[in-house]
Amino acid sequence: MIIQTTDPAANPQAISYHRCTVDLRSGKIVYADVPCRNLDDVLGGFGRSFQDLAERRIANAYCDENPLIVNTGLLTGSTAMTGLRTYFSAYSPIKGSKKGLPAAMWSTGSGKFGAKFKWTGLDELIFENRSERPVYALIEETADGPRVELKPAAHLRGLSTHDKIMALYKEYPDAHFAAIGPAGENWQNNYMGAVALSTENQLKSGEDKCRFAGRGGMGSMMGFKNVLALVARSSDKTKPLSAAVKAANINVIKGGGSARIQPLSRGGGGGTWAAYDVMQVFNAVPVNNFRPQGNALPEKLFRENVEPDYDIKSEACYRCGITCHNNISEKNPDGSRGEFLAKFDYEPLNLLGTNIGIHDAGQAARLIQLGDNYGMDSISLGVTISYVMAYNERHPEAPILNGASFGDYEKARELIIQAGEGRLPEIGRGSMRLSESLRETSYAYHVKGLEIPAYQPETNPGYAWAIAGGHMSMGTYGMLTREGKSDVDSWVKGITEEKLHIVGFDMIGLCKFFDISKGISTDMIVDCLKSEFGFEVTIDDLRRAVRRAFMRGLALELRQGYSRDEYDLPAEVYENPNPHIKLPRITTPEFMAELKKRVWAVFDKEIDAVFGSDFIRF
Amino acid sequence: MQIQVRLIGLFKTGRFREETRSYPAGSLVADVVSDLDLPREHLGIVLINDLHADLESPLNDGDRLTLLPLLDGG
Ligand code: SF4
Repeated sequence: MIIQTTDPAANPQAISYHRCTVDLRSGKIVYADVPCRNLDDVLGGFGRSFQDLAERRIANAYCDENPLIVNTGLLTGSTAMTGLRTYFSAYSPIKGSKKGLPAAMWSTGSGKFGAKFKWTGLDELIFENRSERPVYALIEETADGPRVELKPAAHLRGLSTHDKIMALYKEYPDAHFAAIGPAGENWQNNYMGAVALSTENQLKSGEDKCRFAGRGGMGSMMGFKNVLALVARSSDKTKPLSAAVKAANINVIKGGGSARIQPLSRGGGGGTWAAYDVMQVFNAVPVNNFRPQGNALPEKLFRENVEPDYDIKSEACYRCGITCHNNISEKNPDGSRGEFLAKFDYEPLNLLGTNIGIHDAGQAARLIQLGDNYGMDSISLGVTISYVMAYNERHPEAPILNGASFGDYEKARELIIQAGEGRLPEIGRGSMRLSESLRETSYAYHVKGLEIPAYQPETNPGYAWAIAGGHMSMGTYGMLTREGKSDVDSWVKGITEEKLHIVGFDMIGLCKFFDISKGISTDMIVDCLKSEFGFEVTIDDLRRAVRRAFMRGLALELRQGYSRDEYDLPAEVYENPNPHIKLPRITTPEFMAELKKRVWAVFDKEIDAVFGSDFIRF
Repeated sequence: MQIQVRLIGLFKTGRFREETRSYPAGSLVADVVSDLDLPREHLGIVLINDLHADLESPLNDGDRLTLLPLLDGG
């Protein structure tokens, strides 16, 4: 970036980011320093990419005009803890309106690729059109600035995410990598392809410990473009920590914001896996396609019940002290660590475990690993499989696909393999399309075409307004469970004021675990920006930019044809209320009607004022 | 007064899962948290008889107090 101001909110145009546009059809590669339009652009991530997507009218995700935008955030590659994020944005193949138009979407992951990418000197890479032959993009730091080159990638075709990364690592031992798996390669039949991002740990150990940008089928978009991998090659730009960033980093570790995510051995909460214990108190751990039964089955995947049989190791991304990865390995008979299996986070563990009736940790781990190796979003994958199982339970006389039922590990495995290889579009295209083709949509657990994460919809009406996946783009998932909020006023306030600010992390280049409850509009971030860039930016500047970016996302959804009816929860929530969930029942039709009326009253007015009423016309 | 205390997740480690304990009349949730030396930075949810409460909530004889760690992220 070229920075010629200390006031990025007032003078964003005095800051330029370095963009490379690659025309995959012609092979033409163009570099440009692009002045920022506003603070959203300066912060980066989806704050910038959605402004570019908004300039296009896209009716089908798989068309030449739909760009794939790879970028970073302002603090990616900085000394601020967790500053490792890479963002992938495009109109999504999986998330779309009932009108048939694809929604703008971003997905993000950690690992070291983002920092290496930033350190090449590039801030953004846009792929236009598609390549006739499979390629990978080599992004290199040179004396003349960053250089991007397309290389033949036929030798990578068919390899798993991990194998692609390891094959490229042999060739580029000083680089980091982003790669798709067979799912993304089979984009025609698989809309839930993820992008794997390499970690130091993975490259050193040879174990498949990647991170993933999973949501929204950005791996399928890469596959459609015929770009199988990205290689970022640069020297590590590690500079000494300034006093301000050091103080912020210490606060991240010791200040309590990330306490629940840190390892138990360090006095932390043990990562997102610990959500199992909390949700189970309310009988709110999703079981058998989001139908908790009020029994103890979910406890089988409690950490305390897994630990005796498996080795659990807390590990981290490059230079991150939060150490949020709970890596599960087999335990050898002598108690030593055996083969690495998978990382246990709450979402994949639940959605490829308890929610499909799998209560064996080893089996759940194998399914997570399989989905990761094929490069699929574990949330969309798990929820579509649970839908199939629920359908088969309702139709024992005429089951679909391989007849998989809850708890059938072998059949679940078979479905993942077939979907990953592009042989099962019924799974690969997600639960919205499958349920519509079967005319049984009420128990397909997606909102606006994107499968929901492992928080029961009964506990989170805010899903309706999440702009890029249920929990990471609308922070209301704990409002009922954690805060006990069951009145409409609190929910209107939560959705329209505080909880949307969670998306700020998807602009600036940091993990949400940096400070999930407070977001990026804090003194900590202000101090980091001052120290890293000399910026005089205020908390209010940041809040305005994050809010504007969120509103743009919502406005873009409306422009892609979403009707107000689609801002809702799966119908089963209303039609067949779950009697076991021990929380106030707020998701009644009346509550939702009132909530919608009041939330839209706020959002409509603001979208109109900020973007104009013409913006949402396709 | 007798309070039935239930601990969830990491709070159980080195303590107990569920226990009936005696506290002086007028005790608050915070008194139980201090008595059990629970790490406050991890305290996320307080339930009294299955209803949300907080550290300053008073306890009554026979109450069932559940203490849960934080919930965040996925
Ligand atoms: S919080 Fe977790 S995912 Fe994020 S950088 Fe740290 S270890 Fe990686």
